Amino acid sequence: MTRYILKRLLLLIPILLAVSLVVFTILRLGHGDPAMAYLRLSSIPPTDQALEAARHELGLDKPFAVQYATWLGKAAHGDFGISYVTKRPVLEEILYYLPNTLILAGYSLALTLVLSLPLGMISALKKDRLPDHLTRGLSFFGVSMPNFFLGFVLIWVFSIKLGWLPPMGRGGAAHMILPILTMSCMSLCINTRLIRSTMLDNMHSRYVLYARARGLSESSVVGRHVLTNSLIPVITAIGMHAGELFGGAVIAESIFAWPGLGRYAVSAIYNRDYPVMQCFILIMTTIFVLMNLAVDIGYAWLDPRIRLQGDKQ
Amino acid sequence: MGKLFRAIGMFRRLLTMTAVIALTLFSALPGVQAAPPEGKDVLVYSWNSNMGEFNPHLYSPNQMFSQNLIYEPLVRYQADGMVAPCLAQSWSVSTDGREYTFKLRQDVRFTDGRPFNAEAVKRNIDAVLQNHQRHEWLELTNQLWKAKESGKAPATVVDEYTVRLTLHDPYYPALQELALIRPARFLSPAAMPEDGNTAKGIKEPVGTGPWKLVEAVKSEYALLERNEGYWGDKAKSKYLLIKIIPDTNARVVAFETGQIDIIYGGAGHGAGQIGLDSFERYRTMPGVVTDVSAPLATRALALNTKRFPTDDIDVRRAILLAVDRDALVKHVFLDVERKADTLFSPTMPYCDLGLKPYGFDRNEAEALLEKAGWTLADGARYRTKDGKELALDLCFAGNDTLMKSVAEVVQGDLRKVGVKVNLVGEEKDSNLARQRSGEFGMIFGNTWGAPYDPHSFVSSMRVPSHADYQAQLGLPMKADIDKAIGEVLISVDETRRRELYQYILSTLHDQAVYMPLTYMTNIMVHRDTLEGAHFGATKNEIPLETMYKR
Repeated sequence: MTRYILKRLLLLIPILLAVSLVVFTILRLGHGDPAMAYLRLSSIPPTDQALEAARHELGLDKPFAVQYATWLGKAAHGDFGISYVTKRPVLEEILYYLPNTLILAGYSLALTLVLSLPLGMISALKKDRLPDHLTRGLSFFGVSMPNFFLGFVLIWVFSIKLGWLPPMGRGGAAHMILPILTMSCMSLCINTRLIRSTMLDNMHSRYVLYARARGLSESSVVGRHVLTNSLIPVITAIGMHAGELFGGAVIAESIFAWPGLGRYAVSAIYNRDYPVMQCFILIMTTIFVLMNLAVDIGYAWLDPRIRLQGDKQ
Repeated sequence: MGKLFRAIGMFRRLLTMTAVIALTLFSALPGVQAAPPEGKDVLVYSWNSNMGEFNPHLYSPNQMFSQNLIYEPLVRYQADGMVAPCLAQSWSVSTDGREYTFKLRQDVRFTDGRPFNAEAVKRNIDAVLQNHQRHEWLELTNQLWKAKESGKAPATVVDEYTVRLTLHDPYYPALQELALIRPARFLSPAAMPEDGNTAKGIKEPVGTGPWKLVEAVKSEYALLERNEGYWGDKAKSKYLLIKIIPDTNARVVAFETGQIDIIYGGAGHGAGQIGLDSFERYRTMPGVVTDVSAPLATRALALNTKRFPTDDIDVRRAILLAVDRDALVKHVFLDVERKADTLFSPTMPYCDLGLKPYGFDRNEAEALLEKAGWTLADGARYRTKDGKELALDLCFAGNDTLMKSVAEVVQGDLRKVGVKVNLVGEEKDSNLARQRSGEFGMIFGNTWGAPYDPHSFVSSMRVPSHADYQAQLGLPMKADIDKAIGEVLISVDETRRRELYQYILSTLHDQAVYMPLTYMTNIMVHRDTLEGAHFGATKNEIPLETMYKR
């Protein structure tokens, strides 16, 4: 397992290199000009001289290869450059915002797991009865509701009408409830439906029919066979939910004025702040690769029958 | 039995894993930070991005309105377009219009306790000129720099409280440009870096203004405290808290839940504080006060005089007559902005010229097009002439919903007179690039507002990288207009200056180069318990110091 983990971690280096080159190229293929964006933000008329000065200041007047090589050389030493807009070191800024987003995404993931497991199981076990109808109805409703809309509905109910929870900002735990609910709703509902359908599929499998034919009790069939086989897909889904949650963070952070990375990245995209976008994408890539690795390790830990590649070799 | 145990074991492990994740995250819960003060003595405003480092001499990410809270100018721009004393008590201009001598107030101190004097002015002007290339867009800095290059001292200490600025040419808007929020404002010399180069950063934001910075927490808030030693009328609230709220809808929620006290700024999509629909709703809400400022700048469409088919003056005039701008103001701008009849509001200096507005007259528009040879065949939707269709591109920033709505209305109105309008909605930067290259039939362009209007704006009409230059390029009298602009900026004769502005602005009006849409305004929304709220003289000056909660 250790070898497998090391191998996967080493694989991160070529992945990040490839991603950085692709991102660097794609960003510069666009029509926009960060020098123009900088002047626009500064309310400076974009005269030829002003543009030239801004391009020189931002290093955009150098050839593409030189720009990439310079960036790569510095990035290898942990220097991801200076933000075009804020004029602060990019890594410093990203590390300032990242923990705030990780906290929101982490809590949302935890909430997704904690609620979807029992809800999915109840729904499957009480198929076509009231709890199932309720759970399915809620799941359908939750999956169909766009994040931003849910965010505003929650604010309207809990902040404006009831006055129970703060609508925005960072502070104590109360400030986190609404953004976490907003972010986790989609994955929670998807996961609940996934667990329900997987369990139902398994319940109609031949091996379950055989188990029943052998005269096993219903609880034994569910506990022994159905549950065992239904949990593995949940682990796979966690990896995907992590992605959804980071995507959802962008919206939730804007609505709830939460000082996170998503909000920072969106403003960087809007302002064509290349150094920030590059660093952001690399960090997200790293998180995704590590998340997938964690999912694979989680498989092996949960089900000892699964052996990871490295051990086989 | 083994399988059952395994299943139970797996479920237990999954729950354990969940619990571990949850516990780890709870332990990482952000500690309760020192919350900013609250209460009656704290005025709360909001802005959509961080304030920057409050450097008075730099641009983005420093926000103009917040620079204005801490730093002051020598002279202040007033709503009537005149300048009034501020840190300078009085001034005199040499007969050749090149030397400005300022008598400074003697009772002003920076918030670090140091006196504000002629030496401080000189240090700041020198710091600005040290990076003159950053300020090339501003003619005042060019004039000071050129003076320096020709061997003159741009800023001279005459005595402790008298300072003289020397320009290369007699540039009449010098005073207006000294009133700008940046770059000519004054930082305590003690807060400058050792080499005096403020473009590399400042030690701390220390000015003479009504507020001083207490702390700024990135993406959360900036807290300012009343400057108790302020020479003028002190701020009415002890603290000013500026919350960072990027989303316009979130700002509406913040206001309704009492998280902020006032919404102030532009309305509408983009940099607006709130949407026009939200403002409209507040207008009838009990307990809420709303107000709209006097015109601050003009929202207009520039018509390309060099490109087919708007190279024909009759087509341009017909286009201006065919658009129902009253309906536009009512239905798109929800009456928040007022209809504009001329490129600059008559309230701007030198702009009250009595120009006859282009009204809405579809019949006259059609008659003009017929006269120009554009005929509408039976059953055809658009006019043609010599086999060519009467069509043009209207270019705008595609993600700006307000521009998109206006463009669609213009397209609909022009279709009614047989003119085809292709809407070209693009990314903002691509749209800016089009302004520079002149690849447009019609394009959105706003004037810069007070105190840049009209002088800085007309000055930019001579620069090829501007949409205005490109739009005017087909005018037979373009060279004369540019010459007049060059002359008006350095004319020391007030009467001549008026004549020149009359010529420039009336020619552009007669030639139908611009379709003025609305006069942009600031809006204000606050509860009726907030006192002292009024509008600043320019778009970015927010007089928060006069506001307080009852």
